[in-house]
Amino acid sequence: MLKYILGRIGAMLLTIFLVMTLSFWIIRLMPMTIFENPEVSPEVQYKLEERMHLHEPKIVQYYYFLEGIILKGDFGTSVKLRPGMDVFDIIMVRIQPTMVLNFFSLLVSIPLGILAGTVAALRRNTWLDHVISFAIVIFISVPSFVFASLLQYCLTFLWPVFPTLYNAQAPNVWQAFRSMILPITALSLGPIATIARYLRGELIETLSSEYMLLARTKGLTQNEATWSHAFRNSMVPIANTIIPMITGIMGGSLVIEKLFSVPGEGGLLVDSIMAGDHFLTVALLIFYSLISLITILVVDISYGIIDPRIRIGGGK
Amino acid sequence: MIIEDRNHLPQELEDIPAEKLQLAGKDNYRDEAFATAPIGFYRDAFRRLRKNKVSMASLIAILVIILLAIVVPEISGYTYVQQNVDQKYLPPKIPGLEKLGIADGTRVMTNRKKSSISDPTRFPEGSVLEIVREYQAGKRIAVDVKVDYYKYCGVPEGVYHWFGTDYLGRDILTRLFRGTRISLLIALLSVVTNLIIGVIYGSVAGYYGGRIDMFLTHFAEVLDGLPYIVVTILFMMLFGAGIVSIVLALTVTGWIGTARLTRAQFYRFKGREYVLSARTMGVPDRRLIFRHILPNTVGPLITRAMIAVPGAIFSESFLAYIGLGIMPPEPSIGILLSSGQSVLLQYPYLTLFPAVLISVLMVAFNMLSNGLRDAMDPNHRGEE
Repeated sequence: MLKYILGRIGAMLLTIFLVMTLSFWIIRLMPMTIFENPEVSPEVQYKLEERMHLHEPKIVQYYYFLEGIILKGDFGTSVKLRPGMDVFDIIMVRIQPTMVLNFFSLLVSIPLGILAGTVAALRRNTWLDHVISFAIVIFISVPSFVFASLLQYCLTFLWPVFPTLYNAQAPNVWQAFRSMILPITALSLGPIATIARYLRGELIETLSSEYMLLARTKGLTQNEATWSHAFRNSMVPIANTIIPMITGIMGGSLVIEKLFSVPGEGGLLVDSIMAGDHFLTVALLIFYSLISLITILVVDISYGIIDPRIRIGGGK
Repeated sequence: MIIEDRNHLPQELEDIPAEKLQLAGKDNYRDEAFATAPIGFYRDAFRRLRKNKVSMASLIAILVIILLAIVVPEISGYTYVQQNVDQKYLPPKIPGLEKLGIADGTRVMTNRKKSSISDPTRFPEGSVLEIVREYQAGKRIAVDVKVDYYKYCGVPEGVYHWFGTDYLGRDILTRLFRGTRISLLIALLSVVTNLIIGVIYGSVAGYYGGRIDMFLTHFAEVLDGLPYIVVTILFMMLFGAGIVSIVLALTVTGWIGTARLTRAQFYRFKGREYVLSARTMGVPDRRLIFRHILPNTVGPLITRAMIAVPGAIFSESFLAYIGLGIMPPEPSIGILLSSGQSVLLQYPYLTLFPAVLISVLMVAFNMLSNGLRDAMDPNHRGEE
């Protein structure tokens, strides 16, 4: 088990390193200046550039870049969006809404998806199953930002149930959370449907398997057999859907944050790309990679604990 | 006849003159001719697909959208760049439907000064249809008034913008289908590129196996570990805006799934007897790969390509939302959606039409690929 976890962490670190390398070289290869400010004199500009090591050879710059991040946690300074501010501090200020949005979506979608999938499988070919299956198709296909627009228009404008935008100055936790409900809903619909579809298929297959028949034969009721045999076995392969789902939620949250004006990393990333604030962009991309990789790591490890078969198979 | 000497035939059988030999039962050993025409795998799959009503409806929907995307921008009477600042934010007006009260080019303007309504320079003759509400706002009397917005803007009679116009007075109908064209083009190009790279990569890894396979698979795995959004954003920044850039950015990690699928299929088929016999007869590697093994992977690949299309459309929209789409005057579904989103509450129709179109497109492609998978799944054929 320890070996498995260490292997996973090793792979994660390698990926993070790759993201850093890739982002460094891609930004430096771009045909534009990294840092330019028409308001300062050429001498000052030169001094500033020198402080960022921009006159050294690229490979030396790469060394400074890695050294700064790994040893000092120094991602550089923002040059356009918030000139002079430390990139790391800018990110930390806005970390909370993003985390709330992403983790709540994940937390909401897994149980709801499991519930919907189970109900559809157990009530197979009834109207309930048809309704759920239809909803699954719609929710999987239609992008989260379309739902976001729809929810925003219907529930904040036509029937004003929720606030239109994220409420940063909310007087209490409930008010703040209320303004997060729509973004979380928009973000969760797709993942819920993904899990439900997968679980439905898996459960239907398991329910007709021979060990279910055996379980019934040895005297378990249908419910007991479903719960302790079919359901648990069907749960295991869901890990395969959860990992791509995390990536999906991450990407979706970028847009959703912008639509609902959530003051999180997503909006910051969009702004930094548009402004050409490359140090900030790189740091944010690393941040996003880190978050998604850590989540994947957690899912991997917990599944390694739940199902030893994965652990053995995973040790490539 | 008893053969005593097992090593030699009896003398009379050793040498029989050739004219005495005759092929026995020459006419009796013949298979019965097939009464029906042979049905190949693909025709069989297509027949199954045709029975699937949902898939066929999806296929038709996709074909109709493609047709509209080709035709509408040419015949709508507007171009996608044609601006008219006097006619901005015109509401939808569709001939025929306008009599039913939907899409009739009217809009309720709120909080207008009551005296201004009778002023023909503000509200041209006949533009005011109905006063919805009259109320006291501070010292003056304000009204909510329903106007014929086309007359209000001085648009000549007989001019229709079916889906309305945007903030520069550009015709949304034209832009929407022009954008559909672009989005579909991006999806098609990226899927094809991914397919080509993935098939070649997966074939090489799967066919040669061993060290080459190990190297290639590990390389793909490392690349696949990179978060998709991060890679796409980075490469979009590197390549800059444009159709080709999007396609390239979607290709960076997009081919890995195809490669993995192809590799798995190669492992399944390369040890089969028919492949061994072909190799024994001296068929070169290239022919073995492309002629003998690859056709087995075509079915799953088609399904996969179909599933990838909505994914690519989604990615394009996603990139447009975060400001990394294609060059501005050129529309795409994503561009229209994201620009409509910013005025969602004031002009919902700007979001409505692209949203409906992308939803229909995504649902149709997903349903079609589901149907294709069912039709081509070997499990349904009782094989493997």
